[in-house]
Amino acid sequence: MDGRFSYYFLYSVFIITAVPLLSTQSSVEKINKTMNFFSESQFDGGSQAANSPAAAANRDTFGLIPLTIKQIGEASHSGDDRSNFNVSGADVVNVSVVGMVFNIVERNLDVTFTLDDGTGKLDCKRWLNEPFDRLQMEDIREGIYVHVDGHLKSFKGEKHVAVFSVRPVTNFDEITFHFIACIHNHMRTSKVQKIQGDGENMNSIPKTTIQNGTNGFMSTQSSQNSVPFNFDGVKGVDQMVLAYLQANFGIEKGIHVDELAKKLKLPMNKIMESVRTLEDEGVIYATIDEFHYKAVQQAAV
Amino acid sequence: MDTQNPAVLVNGDLLRNYVGTRVRTVIQVVRPDAGGLTGRSTDEKQIVVKGTLPSPLTTFVEVIGVADTAQSIRAEIVTNFGDAFDTNNFNQLCQLANGDYRHLFI
Repeated sequence: MDGRFSYYFLYSVFIITAVPLLSTQSSVEKINKTMNFFSESQFDGGSQAANSPAAAANRDTFGLIPLTIKQIGEASHSGDDRSNFNVSGADVVNVSVVGMVFNIVERNLDVTFTLDDGTGKLDCKRWLNEPFDRLQMEDIREGIYVHVDGHLKSFKGEKHVAVFSVRPVTNFDEITFHFIACIHNHMRTSKVQKIQGDGENMNSIPKTTIQNGTNGFMSTQSSQNSVPFNFDGVKGVDQMVLAYLQANFGIEKGIHVDELAKKLKLPMNKIMESVRTLEDEGVIYATIDEFHYKAVQQAAV
Repeated sequence: MDTQNPAVLVNGDLLRNYVGTRVRTVIQVVRPDAGGLTGRSTDEKQIVVKGTLPSPLTTFVEVIGVADTAQSIRAEIVTNFGDAFDTNNFNQLCQLANGDYRHLFI
């Protein structure tokens, strides 16, 4: 039992020392490596606090996001799908909250309580569908700290959580850890936002492989950008050419190599070299003549 | 959903900025007093707590209440936090929660 919780301690130490360094790109990588390392070890199955970057970035699988109740209060509905929420730009479906339990009301089919984590109060409802549910709720008393995992919902403008797991906190480093995880998650999703924002400008301000190196962990984001981050075997100049052609995918007759040279501010021989390489790779093709080229598809998959 | 009465995460140093407001902190118990206890904050400052205490007391307690002065808190809730607690982590969390990441907490 204790062994498991000692992970919280070690985990917090890693995060705490690394958070101040998170102003640099390479440190973000270091944090993510640490998070990945810990997520592979024996973590409590119910609270997946270490979302690997790929899983969080993939829109189809939502992890359990650690949030403060204040953050939940500020969550807005995301997009057309009214059942999902958006917290500082990232989609949130399932949440993890740690706080003190108040106002426990036990009914036949469910138990409701209020959770107070010092940043706000949140209504929680635990449906009692199976014997396990009742058993779990027996340990929950008024005034104790608990860890709640559940589905974030909204009803008549008020948010609440449909809880699928509640457990008492026994090692209080978990409280410190939870808040640090909230900060970390916020930093990570905000950084992703910033990088995506910069990505839109990529085509007019092409960068070389340096950009590739620091954004290596974001390879799964490439479908949202037209710049192929994870395009193996394509080097700096080639990438710039390809990016430009992909950005101008709509132009049927293709782009003239002179335009490429002018816009990308590169010598013609380099452009021609890239064009040959890309053509060999099969990602661009000549259109009306051997000077006009077009990308095969709009964005890398 | 109610964010009307938050308690700011503080350590000994930050307490003076929140006199008169609701705060929460974790301190190490030095000795119980009449009507409360004297404790040491995670950044080695002395904090006096007035209020009802749980019994028995563990080495560390969390105090949630209103800050009376820069060194004392009138406690609403005192929770036993056990005998092993990472004070360094908590201290750094307080600094982050009152620094760049305030907006996530208050």
